[in-house]
Amino acid sequence: MNPRPVVLLVEDNPRNLKLARDVLEYAGFSVVVATTGEEAVEQSRATLPDVILMDLQLPGIDGFAALELIHDHGPTAHIPVVALTAFAMHRDRERALVSGFAGYLEKPISVREFPAQVRRHLPRPEAPDP
Amino acid sequence: MSGFEEARSQPAEVVHDLADRLATTQEQLRATSDILKVLTTSTTGGAASRDEVFDAVVDSARRLLGAQVAQIYLVQGDSYVLARSSGLTPEFVDFVSQHPIARDRATLVGRVTIDRTVHQIDDVLADPEYRRTDFQRVGGYRTMMGAPMVVGDQVVGALNVWRTEVAPFDRAAEELLSTFAEQAALALRHVELFSALESRSAELARKVDQLEALAEVGEAISSTLVADEVLTTIVTHAVELSETDGGSLMEFDEATGLFRVRTAYGTSGDVIDALRRAEIHIDRTWVGRAARTREVLQIADLDAEPKPLDPHLAVLHASGWRSLVAIPLVRPDRVVGALVVRRKSTGSFTDETCELLAAFASQSAVALTNARLYQQLEQQSVALAEASQHKSEFLASMSHELRTPLNAVIGFSEVLLERMFGDLNERQEDYLEDIHSAGRHLLALLGDILDLSKVEAGRMELDLTTFPLDDVLVQALSLVRERAALHGIRLTLEAADGLGPVTADELRLKQVLLNLLSNAVKFTPDGGRIVVRAWRDGDEVDVTVTDTGIGIAPADQERIFDSFQQGERSASSSEGTGLGLTLSRRIVELHGGRLWLTSTPGEGSTFGISFPQPDADRTAAGEAWMVDDGSVTGPTVVVIEDDPRSAELVELHLRAAGLRAVGASTGEQGLDLVRAQDPVAVILDIHLPGMDGWEVLSALKGDPSTADVPVVVVSVEPERGRGFALGATEYLVKPVSGEHLLAAVTRLLPPPRADELSPRLSVVVVDDDPLALKLVRSTLEPLGWEVHTCAGGQQAADLVRAVAPSVVVIDLLMPQVDGFAVIDELRPHRDSEGPPIVVLTAKSLTPQDRSRLEGRIAFVAEKAGIDLPGLARRLASVAAEHVGQGEEP
Repeated sequence: MNPRPVVLLVEDNPRNLKLARDVLEYAGFSVVVATTGEEAVEQSRATLPDVILMDLQLPGIDGFAALELIHDHGPTAHIPVVALTAFAMHRDRERALVSGFAGYLEKPISVREFPAQVRRHLPRPEAPDP
Repeated sequence: MSGFEEARSQPAEVVHDLADRLATTQEQLRATSDILKVLTTSTTGGAASRDEVFDAVVDSARRLLGAQVAQIYLVQGDSYVLARSSGLTPEFVDFVSQHPIARDRATLVGRVTIDRTVHQIDDVLADPEYRRTDFQRVGGYRTMMGAPMVVGDQVVGALNVWRTEVAPFDRAAEELLSTFAEQAALALRHVELFSALESRSAELARKVDQLEALAEVGEAISSTLVADEVLTTIVTHAVELSETDGGSLMEFDEATGLFRVRTAYGTSGDVIDALRRAEIHIDRTWVGRAARTREVLQIADLDAEPKPLDPHLAVLHASGWRSLVAIPLVRPDRVVGALVVRRKSTGSFTDETCELLAAFASQSAVALTNARLYQQLEQQSVALAEASQHKSEFLASMSHELRTPLNAVIGFSEVLLERMFGDLNERQEDYLEDIHSAGRHLLALLGDILDLSKVEAGRMELDLTTFPLDDVLVQALSLVRERAALHGIRLTLEAADGLGPVTADELRLKQVLLNLLSNAVKFTPDGGRIVVRAWRDGDEVDVTVTDTGIGIAPADQERIFDSFQQGERSASSSEGTGLGLTLSRRIVELHGGRLWLTSTPGEGSTFGISFPQPDADRTAAGEAWMVDDGSVTGPTVVVIEDDPRSAELVELHLRAAGLRAVGASTGEQGLDLVRAQDPVAVILDIHLPGMDGWEVLSALKGDPSTADVPVVVVSVEPERGRGFALGATEYLVKPVSGEHLLAAVTRLLPPPRADELSPRLSVVVVDDDPLALKLVRSTLEPLGWEVHTCAGGQQAADLVRAVAPSVVVIDLLMPQVDGFAVIDELRPHRDSEGPPIVVLTAKSLTPQDRSRLEGRIAFVAEKAGIDLPGLARRLASVAAEHVGQGEEP
């Protein structure tokens, strides 16, 4: 088991990418980044992260489409994908959860709580890896 | 009596003469008053009273004028006829009736009526002009006098007296005769008035018929907004009542100045097409002239009109129309269209017809205007919905765009404040706190704007759950406790016992409480006190926040609920968004409650929220609330609903539709029931204790054994999207009427197959509207029904007897024999044998109609907005019952 859990962070806004990355790294995560949906799919296959944090509004294919591609691909199908979004409507949360996102984190993030919120979605360490 | 004294001083003969004259005058007066009495007291009217008066006249005239005979002749066409007489022998009367008197000077009657003056013939035998010696021989008269009878400016007859010896009448007699003649004429006038009145009544009766037709049109106008239906009704009635062959209704377009045929009757399709293609301009056509002048115009013969004809008339002329009337449809301020009725034959139209059509026209103008308004309304609501959608989209995207940079502002300041990458000096920390709190403020503002716009667009959705109110109060208090302590403010909670759980949107409620508490802390001076009280008052829960703050002036008490108003309390405060109270009030109102305020400046304020909550005890039961006693058979519907009253209502409606309802008051129980009963549908409440409706819905759809059961969600929350996303088939927002519920359920159910029953179900449909017949046929036949149709009331009863159907469907409004009559024949009494009768009508039944049909029909279905599968279901249910009864030994 890797002592530093790997997070794939998908975010197109450079400042927010930097913020989330720095906070997560500070909290002990190993962070891989992607700035488009396509890149996210590629990265997920290349690095097989423990968890994916994904913005929903992305250039190119959006978060929903990327999620589908990730879940349709055997090796990445089990990876929990958490939506990270500035969508503020109540329905967005539902839509995300109905679509198969494992969780929903609203921006702006709370720096203090963010690492714990992400950690919650990590697969449990005792779970055997198939 | 002085006159009488004077008279006594006159010579005796003069006195005698005076007394004579007085007596005569008195007698004349009496006679006249007798006649007048007859005239005024006669109540029968008509010819009878005329003869009564005439008799009085001839009797008095003969007596008072000292004549042997008095007679009244009336002008009739080119001759005179004897109307009444006094002193005549039957032979003479007979002779006169067989020998007409011509209108010439050969007779006295002739002279009197031609000259319109009183004439006397001193001796007919000596008068060279007098020709009717034949009469003289039978009557034997010598001296004659006659006076004309004049009504209005017309001579209608003459009053005659004669003496059998030569003894001319004096001047007084002449005057008297004239008076009698006037009275006779008056009687005649009276009779005329009376018969005019009678014919007026007949006309009135006819008008009533027309008014009824108009009322029907009016009914069509109010009962449906589908314009073309109304307009067709109008044209049809206009054509039928004016006894013309066809007609059309045109709509006027102000923008182009053109009339366009909206609907037509008795007109072939290609003529309608041609009319629609024709450019019927208001300034260049005959119809346009009618509209411009606001006059009813008519053409008696199109052939005779000067050529070339305008485009409208040309089309009509070419297709064989000969005469027509145009009635403008106008509103006080503008032209809305025109009604045209026409005949294939020539001839002018009577005033009565034109008046009637004008009445139709005013109805039509209203209908057209309504139709237009309705169309506009529809377009506007579409535009409005679009605008609202755009607004939502704009707000969502604005929110997104603003949150993204705010994320960085707040996040990076937090990173630094957390000393993740090194320590800060005091001033750096101070500035970073400012950056951070300014960012938070912006974020809060953004959230409130979004929320408020959602509320205002009616899009805020409450996420109702049931939770202990105490917990929320404690949480809200804990969020402001630190800040209160900082200012030495004492914060206490006084929650009454038995507050129990409440059903509300927990987050929103907390938001409201927090807003009230923050305000209280903000406006209470250091060392003050804030008390939160909560209690239950019947079906209502109240929470108040009382502070010892500066208070709010009465003038500001309402204003502070407006956006960005903080009263005099704190114009400079940088805290708060200025939207908090506005939003809080809206949120409480969304819960069906209210947010209120009492305040005394200088002493403090109390903000309170009160919102309805059903008594906690009522929802405690977790038992199945419907006993399945097997008394109701039929498809089963599982009802998952925790409120017993709602559940009972639902059950009633379902039972009425022949469905068997089984209920559960919790989600878990509901799931078990669905699995056990294999129902045709599930009615699901969202707000349930424990497992909520969403979870039940997900569980049902997630279980292959129950996934196919259609689910009707009934909820107070307008979350259709979520409902459908989770697999609901129908989503109804409470309160739901029984009708809507039933309609939703019946839509889910396949209507029963009529041919699977034995014997096969059959129906006789009676309706003069071929479309209605077709509609019923096309609905029932695919379901296996044997459908017989009948286009009118005449043969309906015979057909029903011949076919012996399982049910009869009948229209009420039919020409000649109407539905009422058919029902009277088929089912004279409540207990009469025979198939059940269902009324399918476009008529709105009056209470009289209903009581007339009471007990004799199964149900009434209205054509407007009919739900055909629902009708099929109900018909099957009624028919099956009848067939079932018939099979019983």
